[in-house]
Amino acid sequence: MLSSGVANGKDLIGPPLPSGQRVLVVLLFSPTEAPALPLTGRYPSTDRFTRGCWETVRVSAQRLQLLLAEGMTAAAAADALVAELPIVSQRSTTIERTFWDTFDGRVRGAGLALVGTGGRLALADATSLEECAGEIDDRAASQLLATDLPAGALRDALAPIVEMRAVMPVVRVKSRALPLDVLDELGKIVVRLRVEEPTAVAVDGTDAAVAVRARLHVIGVLGYDRELAGLLKLLERRLAHGVPAAPVQDDAVRAVGGKPGGASSKLKLTLDAQERADSAAVKILRRLAKVIQLNLPGTLEDVDSEFLHDLRVAVRRTRALQRELRGVFAPEPLRAFRDGFRELQRVTGPTRDLDVQLLEFDDLVAGLPDDADRDVEPLRRLLQDHLHVERRKMVRALRAKPARALLDNWSAFLDLLEASDESLRPDAARPVGDIAGARIAKVHGRMVKMGTAIDDDTPAEALHELRKQGKELRYLLEFFQSLYPAAVVKPMVASLKGLQDVLGCFQDREVQAALLRSLGDEVATLDGGAAALIAMGLLVARLGEEQELARTQFAESFAAFAAKSQRRLVEQTFGCRG
Amino acid sequence: MPRVVALYNIKGGVGKTSAAVNLAWLAAESGARTLLWDLDPQGAASYVLRIKPKVKGGARKLVAGRSDPAAALKGTDHELLDLLPADFSYRNMDLELGEVKRPTKGLARVLAPIAPDYEYVFLDCPPAISLASESIFVAADVLLVPLIPSPLSLRTFDQLRAFVADEVPKPPAILAFFSMADGRKRLHREVIEQTTAAHGGVLKASIPAASDVERMALHRRVLAQTAPRSRAALAYEALWEELRRRS
Repeated sequence: MLSSGVANGKDLIGPPLPSGQRVLVVLLFSPTEAPALPLTGRYPSTDRFTRGCWETVRVSAQRLQLLLAEGMTAAAAADALVAELPIVSQRSTTIERTFWDTFDGRVRGAGLALVGTGGRLALADATSLEECAGEIDDRAASQLLATDLPAGALRDALAPIVEMRAVMPVVRVKSRALPLDVLDELGKIVVRLRVEEPTAVAVDGTDAAVAVRARLHVIGVLGYDRELAGLLKLLERRLAHGVPAAPVQDDAVRAVGGKPGGASSKLKLTLDAQERADSAAVKILRRLAKVIQLNLPGTLEDVDSEFLHDLRVAVRRTRALQRELRGVFAPEPLRAFRDGFRELQRVTGPTRDLDVQLLEFDDLVAGLPDDADRDVEPLRRLLQDHLHVERRKMVRALRAKPARALLDNWSAFLDLLEASDESLRPDAARPVGDIAGARIAKVHGRMVKMGTAIDDDTPAEALHELRKQGKELRYLLEFFQSLYPAAVVKPMVASLKGLQDVLGCFQDREVQAALLRSLGDEVATLDGGAAALIAMGLLVARLGEEQELARTQFAESFAAFAAKSQRRLVEQTFGCRG
Repeated sequence: MPRVVALYNIKGGVGKTSAAVNLAWLAAESGARTLLWDLDPQGAASYVLRIKPKVKGGARKLVAGRSDPAAALKGTDHELLDLLPADFSYRNMDLELGEVKRPTKGLARVLAPIAPDYEYVFLDCPPAISLASESIFVAADVLLVPLIPSPLSLRTFDQLRAFVADEVPKPPAILAFFSMADGRKRLHREVIEQTTAAHGGVLKASIPAASDVERMALHRRVLAQTAPRSRAALAYEALWEELRRRS
């Protein structure tokens, strides 16, 4: 696939370019597999004539990456080229780059790379490694939040991508680059070649180094397209073995046993409507157990708040499936596991609540009148102190034997479930499609009934209960979405999400206000406590207003969710009256 | 927008081209993306950089806005330095500018679409005072004038300053430096000493008359490539630093 993009700045493979410059980078890049050559042909034109004047956009350099044969060294590639072309080789250089990313690969997912090299940390295009924002980095940190960076271009560019997640080193790539300049008959450089011999170095403390397949970077010189095309024809015949399917850092991550793009906490499962319900349940629950295990170390080490969040979501989904497909399990072991996961949810709750409070703190206090946002700072410190205490309790509980035993036993239980006695598992052999459809229709119907009964005088508890059912429905749709047409599931999820947002806002504001009220006595004893209390009063009042607003929005969002057309669709798709 | 520096003198053979290519190279070497426009139909700067002095459509289409200056650009042996080459048709630049509206803005119009890609643009100007020269004065932020250390050169420099001040609506800064200075000549030493002390527009760095500079045309390479530690190369570095500070 021929693709192009605009990047700025500094080339991390070749000599440094100044930041802020604009270049149009042309890349031959296949997202799946290396396509067959040819590499030659028509390149994007620089000639754009608009309303009688030439645009300022131009191609400054055409850049391509080609793979060399497995095991081919830079010296062998250079020898092969020198035999065919007037080439001057320059002194080879070695560059060591550390690639950083979040646990779930957000930087890579955005088509970018966060690269530390030579005391500089820079956000760059994932493939060309051309810098778009960077800064001097003399920290020796092993993990960074966007807020740890000083204000500036790098933080501005990185923050919206990683949000609350920390970036950590993913892999180190040590590359030996051999520059080869192709000359014309005047002895002028017309194409620049760089043979890159990368070595991947693990960042897990082992420093294990693995050679990665060499690449040839072909860098055109402005105004010498014909020479570039001729050279590419030659490379196609003699040297190149296709274009790389992925950037060098992906190859490096793979080489040291990692997974390019990071770990995902998403379900992404494909089920068959006819498969046994217990088999489908095991598939889903194994994936959820894996997500819990994946996120446990980051939760214990407090890398960022998202580890705990993803862990808790996986626990909540596990509990939902235990409830919804209870007939595939024997009652007694299920009861014990349900108790265990409920406890897991309980011990992680206070920490998550405080995480949320602190993540939303700036938004919460934004717009407070006069100096109230400053007055409320003692509250932030108090929340941080509480978080510290609650986190220690949580970590202790998660490291304790019952939690570890729960997860180990649960995995062992899942391994044996399908082979276990079916006499106490009435739904085990039923087609999962039958149960799933019935459950979705049932919960949907229950929500319609509950929501219809809600009016302006209904107590808040009824809305909270409806939200719980909404979560249950959301999880059911996520578990079983592969069994149904996306055209049905997607709009259903969208209308459900609209309703859940309103219900979530309604409940969260109440919980936040209650938490603030509960901290009042403590805040009063702090330095600046009186002013903080006044500011907290304003906050509580504002939370109350927002809760009221959410309540007024309920009718509209519920009407969209429970529309007649939607109910008919549920009935048609899931087989029962919704 | 970039700083546009025009190497200009009404006289020929005073070191404009040598200064233009060496300063442009040093600008690129400092990390700044740089463009050099070889405006002299003799094409000496293009020659030194081993690039054919040819622009498709020539001066006529370029000035009339009927050809894309970006399509004529050539990358040099320095990754950050590009050249808009000379073309023999530039000898008719005055005539071609005379054919377009507001001719004194003609060269600035050619530069407008490509200039934003660069931090520095150097113009290697032909020796003359003409309509093309006036267009250069309008396009440039800085006129950098190489002076042979002689009383007559200083007189010409003063005349140029007066002309630019009177005739150019938004005049560029005018700076001069001594070029082809021969330390063995007493007159050169005296002129340089007195002028740099008394004249604020004259830079302190001066370029010696050196065979290394002349050999650039032989090797077709700039001094930074052939004799980076030579006296002349160091003088250009000093000139570049001073120019960067002053402009």
